[in-house]
Amino acid sequence: MIISLNWLKDYIEIDLSLPVLIEKLNMIGLMVEDWEEKGSDVILDIETYANRPDTLGHLGVARELATALELGIKERKWPLTEIEQKISDLADVRIWDDELCPRYSGMVIKGIQVGPSPEWLRKRIEAVGLKPINNVVDVTNYVLFATAHPIHAFDLAKISGRKIIIRKAKDAEVLRSLEDSDISLTPEMLVIADEKKPIALAGIIGGEESSVKESTQDVFIESACFDPVSIRKTSKKTGISTDASYRFERGADISFPPQAALMAASLLTQLGGKAAKGIADVYPKPKKEKTVVLRHHRISDLLGLELDGEFAERTLASLGFQAEVQQKGVWQVKIPQFRVDVEREADLIEEIARFYGYDKIPASLPPLRALELPVDQKRERINKFRQLLFCNGFDEVLNFSFSDPEKEARLQTGQKAIEIRNPVSSKASLLRTTLLGGLLENIVWNKNRGAEGIHLFEIGNAYFWQNETNREQLTLALATTGLVGPVQWHRKSEDTDFFRIKGALESLMTYSRYEPFSFKEKDHAFFEQEYSLAMIFKEETVGYCGLLKKNLLDSYSLKEPVWAAELNLALLFEKQPYSFEFTPVDRFPSITRDVSFISSRSVLYQDIKEVVEKLAIPGLMEFDPHDRFSGSSIPSGKISLSLRFVFRHPQRTLLAKEVDTLQEKIINA
Amino acid sequence: MKDFKSKIEEHKKRFEKALSGVKDEKSLQEVRNAFMSRKRGELKLLFEELKTLKPEEKAAFGQMVNDLKIHIQEKIRVRGELKVIKKESAALKASSGKIDLTLPGQKEYWGSPHPILLFQQEIENIFMAMGYFIEDGPEIETDYYNFEALNFPPYHPARDDWDTLYITDDLLLRTHTSPVQIRAMEKRKPPIRIITPGKVYRRETPDPTHLPMFYQVEGLVVDEGITFAHLKGTLEHFLKTLFYEKIKIRFRPSFFPFTEPSAEIDIECTVCAGKNEECRVCGGSGWIEILGSGMVDPQVLKNVNIDPEKYSGFAFGLGIDRTAMSAFQIPDMRFFYENDLRFIRQFTLK
Repeated sequence: MIISLNWLKDYIEIDLSLPVLIEKLNMIGLMVEDWEEKGSDVILDIETYANRPDTLGHLGVARELATALELGIKERKWPLTEIEQKISDLADVRIWDDELCPRYSGMVIKGIQVGPSPEWLRKRIEAVGLKPINNVVDVTNYVLFATAHPIHAFDLAKISGRKIIIRKAKDAEVLRSLEDSDISLTPEMLVIADEKKPIALAGIIGGEESSVKESTQDVFIESACFDPVSIRKTSKKTGISTDASYRFERGADISFPPQAALMAASLLTQLGGKAAKGIADVYPKPKKEKTVVLRHHRISDLLGLELDGEFAERTLASLGFQAEVQQKGVWQVKIPQFRVDVEREADLIEEIARFYGYDKIPASLPPLRALELPVDQKRERINKFRQLLFCNGFDEVLNFSFSDPEKEARLQTGQKAIEIRNPVSSKASLLRTTLLGGLLENIVWNKNRGAEGIHLFEIGNAYFWQNETNREQLTLALATTGLVGPVQWHRKSEDTDFFRIKGALESLMTYSRYEPFSFKEKDHAFFEQEYSLAMIFKEETVGYCGLLKKNLLDSYSLKEPVWAAELNLALLFEKQPYSFEFTPVDRFPSITRDVSFISSRSVLYQDIKEVVEKLAIPGLMEFDPHDRFSGSSIPSGKISLSLRFVFRHPQRTLLAKEVDTLQEKIINA
Repeated sequence: MKDFKSKIEEHKKRFEKALSGVKDEKSLQEVRNAFMSRKRGELKLLFEELKTLKPEEKAAFGQMVNDLKIHIQEKIRVRGELKVIKKESAALKASSGKIDLTLPGQKEYWGSPHPILLFQQEIENIFMAMGYFIEDGPEIETDYYNFEALNFPPYHPARDDWDTLYITDDLLLRTHTSPVQIRAMEKRKPPIRIITPGKVYRRETPDPTHLPMFYQVEGLVVDEGITFAHLKGTLEHFLKTLFYEKIKIRFRPSFFPFTEPSAEIDIECTVCAGKNEECRVCGGSGWIEILGSGMVDPQVLKNVNIDPEKYSGFAFGLGIDRTAMSAFQIPDMRFFYENDLRFIRQFTLK
């Protein structure tokens, strides 16, 4: 809200330096976001809130400031020059829908010479950033920015039959607006109409035909209240937002229409017009002022301080509330109708706190009552996974949840993507169904900036429709490409490979006690055939890893291979890890034996592993491949695989001979 | 008898010779096979031969063969471990003959956490030390949880301040993490002390200080006798811990549909402390808006069946991205989501 300091001085005596004034306004909740000196005036840009339409005019801001400074508001008189003719002979106001228009007041000014406004009025209009148009329009704007109550002026001669009807629009009715555009009206919209047709979109914008022009002689001043929700719906639907609709959709003072009309009439008679006698005031169901009970102890209970009752009374009175003592420590407070925001005791306590000063309220820590431990361990698990991935040399990234439909199509996740109805851009109109798209973009970004090895992960949601239900699935994605680790003098950097990504998954599973798990060759849309594994835990596929398809990498202009994995953490975290049990550390030495095989390439390690496991050799604690090679010393089509076996007996030292027999068994198998 | 002893000696000599010829892992393996193979290794053959001797000889020579076995095993083991040092020193000794100890040590590559989540964790730690739990909830929310339960009636202009991305009439991307507070109050009884970090969405065109997705932490305390003074004390403690002990903080009245009274909290500008009228960070005001807060609106408590006459509470919220920008003087919010490793990896050193 733009506030002119000179205009404010019409209502209160301000004798403060600018910084002090700004500080005062800030501390009562009227945040000065910007200010500017303009000639002898200072223009303040004040942040106002959706619940305080009363502060959308100078009077409302003055009322707040007067309370803070403990000053009074200067009263102003609005004299009229009247003629004998009665308004009832000149205009007939009918409300057909009193839900959407609870009150409508009107006055008629005759014989006005439409022309430029006097200097003082033009200055006021310019101060709030508007262009002066003519004396009649400027007066209506003056009343709006003075009181926050929007009013409108019609050319009386253009109101057919001198009938003003407030009704809903009929199908296919059209209104040519002041801005020279045709508004197609629909039956839920409220209009101001004459005998024949709509002449204004109620509370939003006037019609072109009935507007005040230089030829106008008599004007009809409209000062009304409209239903905020209806105004907002119509404003949204037509895409028209005006100073008037902005205020009406926040709520207007139902007691004020006659006074606003009077102000305008008075100013217009001062500019040469003559007012018809009386005011047309249609108010079918007068609203009573609300009352709210305020208990003194609740002020202390909510704010945490002892506050003088007299201060509360004084503050409320200055703001226009009437607080009457009902019994000791309890007030009955009458709420002025310009305060559409105040309905409950807490609202009154806020008023008192604001003017007491938030800075004077003490600061203390709340008592610490014990809480029940939360059952959800998702967060701990996520953090453990993150730590493990850092140790494995993966950097963490965060990407937007949005996705480009074109890119999403390339990824072929097979999930039905969730579409945003009003996206920020068409390239961000879907929610991602996989996290890999983001990682690929990050690889491109970093590659273009010279990174040689890029190893990334992200934990976040993937989103999709599943049987008409929106799902968000916690997902981990990993991708690795290029060199591993820093270039060092005593260790050659090597290119990343499949076993790096697989190793990362294995360490996540092992260190979280998600065991036993296994891998199985399985095709997946992201990965090259034969370079794609599914990870299985408790008989369900919890993730995939592999080499990203060449055509996918091509679409990102990536030339080097990228190995990647995606894990369904939502599914994994539903499953329980095996429960931890302490096992005593073996006291007896182990015996290690290395055995080398020459086998066909087509024999998988997995097969060998299964054979060994089937033997169920007593004392065999662990075994792992520790070398694998092929070359000139090995027949073609074959590989040499060395396995290291560790044997141990729980109760005594194993004898070499015993191990020999066991080993023999393995070799024979 | 003598024969057998000299045989052992011979084996030992042959082993020493073979070992001295070892140049790499492969030739070491050959030596290992030649002497220790379980099938045809020299030691194996010696043991076989031992079996043919007379019992009294067996005892004496058996010991000797065993000693040789241990000797060979040990030598091969040590030679194997020497490998690495040999390799390195060969390269190093080229000129000086001594290892250059001024060369850098071995580095491991550790991944870095994303700065937003690093900063989020710092915030979480402060509140966890004050007895708060961390809660989360869905990012795709219904109008009820995102707005109505929080006292935003349909068509209320207050909704304009939370410009929303919609999926259907009823489904939207949450504009704040407040729905998590509602869900927490529905499922538990007071006392409640939670913080709710997470992604939130607004319909904003990206620029240095606005993004359509960012991170927020909100907090909620509901119990008997909770006051505005507690809100002040808690947030002062939080900000002094997160920034620095002497930081200036101000509370000023504001409006949120879900709190009454409401307060906005500013900290003094971390760049100019109010001393630069042209400061880009605070716009010359000397203050940075950092937190929105207030006493939980009685209507919100009623919506989740908590009696506002018996219980009261406070709530607060802050943008993690913007707070991190103030803390580290990062000029552009978009840096966080470019995921440039040169940006992300700086924060490991923090």
